[in-house]
Amino acid sequence: MTRSAVARIAWSAAALAALVFAVTPLVWMVLTSVKSNREITQDASLLPEALTLANYVSLFAGREFGAYLTNSIIVTTLSVAVALTLGTMAAYVLARFHLWAGMQRYVGFGLLMVRLLPPIVIIVPIFLVAQQLGLLNTQLGLIVVYATFNVTIVVWMMESFFREIPIDLEEAAMVDGDTRFTAFRRIVLPLAAPGLVATGIFAVITTYNEFLFALVLTSTPAAETMPIGAATLIGRINVDWGAMSAAGVIGALPIVVFSIFVQKHLVRGLTMGAVK
Amino acid sequence: MTPSTGRRTLRGSGLDRVLPYLMLGPTLFLVLGVIVYPLIDGLRSSTGFFRFGRLVRSVGLDNYRQAFSDPAFIEALLTTARFVVLAVTIETVLGLALALLCAREVRFIRRIRTTLILPMIVTPVVVGIVFRLIYASDVGLLASFAHALRIDPPQILSNGTGAFWGLVFLDVWEWTPLLFLILLAGIQSMPVEPFEAARVDGAGAWRTFVDHTLPLLRPTILVAVTLRAIEALTTFDQVYVLTRGGPGTSTQLISIYGYQTFFQFQQTGYAAAMLFMVALVVLVGAGFAVGLMRRAR
Repeated sequence: MTRSAVARIAWSAAALAALVFAVTPLVWMVLTSVKSNREITQDASLLPEALTLANYVSLFAGREFGAYLTNSIIVTTLSVAVALTLGTMAAYVLARFHLWAGMQRYVGFGLLMVRLLPPIVIIVPIFLVAQQLGLLNTQLGLIVVYATFNVTIVVWMMESFFREIPIDLEEAAMVDGDTRFTAFRRIVLPLAAPGLVATGIFAVITTYNEFLFALVLTSTPAAETMPIGAATLIGRINVDWGAMSAAGVIGALPIVVFSIFVQKHLVRGLTMGAVK
Repeated sequence: MTPSTGRRTLRGSGLDRVLPYLMLGPTLFLVLGVIVYPLIDGLRSSTGFFRFGRLVRSVGLDNYRQAFSDPAFIEALLTTARFVVLAVTIETVLGLALALLCAREVRFIRRIRTTLILPMIVTPVVVGIVFRLIYASDVGLLASFAHALRIDPPQILSNGTGAFWGLVFLDVWEWTPLLFLILLAGIQSMPVEPFEAARVDGAGAWRTFVDHTLPLLRPTILVAVTLRAIEALTTFDQVYVLTRGGPGTSTQLISIYGYQTFFQFQQTGYAAAMLFMVALVVLVGAGFAVGLMRRAR
């Protein structure tokens, strides 16, 4: 065998090992979810002998997974939409205008610091404030909190995207009779679109997956999201492995499907502007 | 970035003078109301003594002092430090290896990369479930393998050492993809000249890696490690599902201990003080990371 053939085989083996390592745990969860509980506990089989969807049916029939799913979709969509709208405006201002005391230089940095602060640090006071405002266990309460955390990252990422767009393009358009707003909409926004998409993807994934705020701020299926539904189910059923694995599959499915849909832009979104 | 942009800013007149503040306003309002105000409020409650969630009296810095004579706090701190150092080190080495592996353009490489980052997309709570299904002593994946090989199933979550390493392994599985992605981007943006020169000089793969790849990649590695470390410092969801801090206190990370101090023991002031000290560490790390990221732009 030639040297390059050996190298190619070694490369393939390494890549295959990495893929198996990444995928096996998830495959095992899916396999467990389609086994009957009798097979899971008594046979200790690797592959299911008879497929059953009973574990899934029980999630939607006897438990509230329909409600969790709806809550997650509503809360994620609205909070990301609000954050993208407000954050894009703010980022544009920071990238283009000279503000009082030169604050355009520090706001983005400040917001990112706030974003990197561990949520657990402010969960207690936020809980107390939400209680006073009657926002505990409501979708609105979660939307406000998530929109705030998302807007910080939107500003940080969009500001750098806007800075990369030459200011002359807008000025030329405005000389030609555009207002600032139409110049923004016709010239700047289309050029910044890839950045907006990447930012939106990052926000959707982190928001859907968020656990701590939802755990503290919600308490019934009226507002509980998917991660809470899955985690509380685990707390209640210690040995119903079939239902547990089905809950895991259903819990992760929406965000995995979403990621597959947007996979072209996924990498840029996931690295959170750490690299460009 | 072209040199002319960025430094130039607009100074408008008329409506253009107020407009920026109107556009910035809602964002600042949200952040001040939902993050900064609670933060200050929490700082205030960290100097109080509470009973049943009500402020009884102010105790100054006693809560902070108490932390350092609280063995459970010290232990949680040490467990967290051990967890972060072990997990992030392994993730960095594996992430770098994977990035080097996947930097070449071959067939299916895009699909391979997308599959490799799957673990970091899956909901953290679900990752906790996944690993319970792997470690379960009677029905888990490891037990099933042991059964197939006719050996005794390994006991992971029932003893302290096993549970701790089980948690480290979970974190490695979930977050190596993040290191991989950031380092891959770093590798792909490296200049090609040094590598061509090295090849002309007949340098081996290992020498090239040590002399060129590592030094060029250093800033990227630093950013990636810092970002990952500050997130790992407050790991919560996965532990909450996998072990709840047990058995005993073997996986009681600082975030779990802080959470329990507040919600189970109702020691509002003490919990706040404890978490603020963690926040301080995180903020220093975050400032460092952001500084690095800004310089890279």
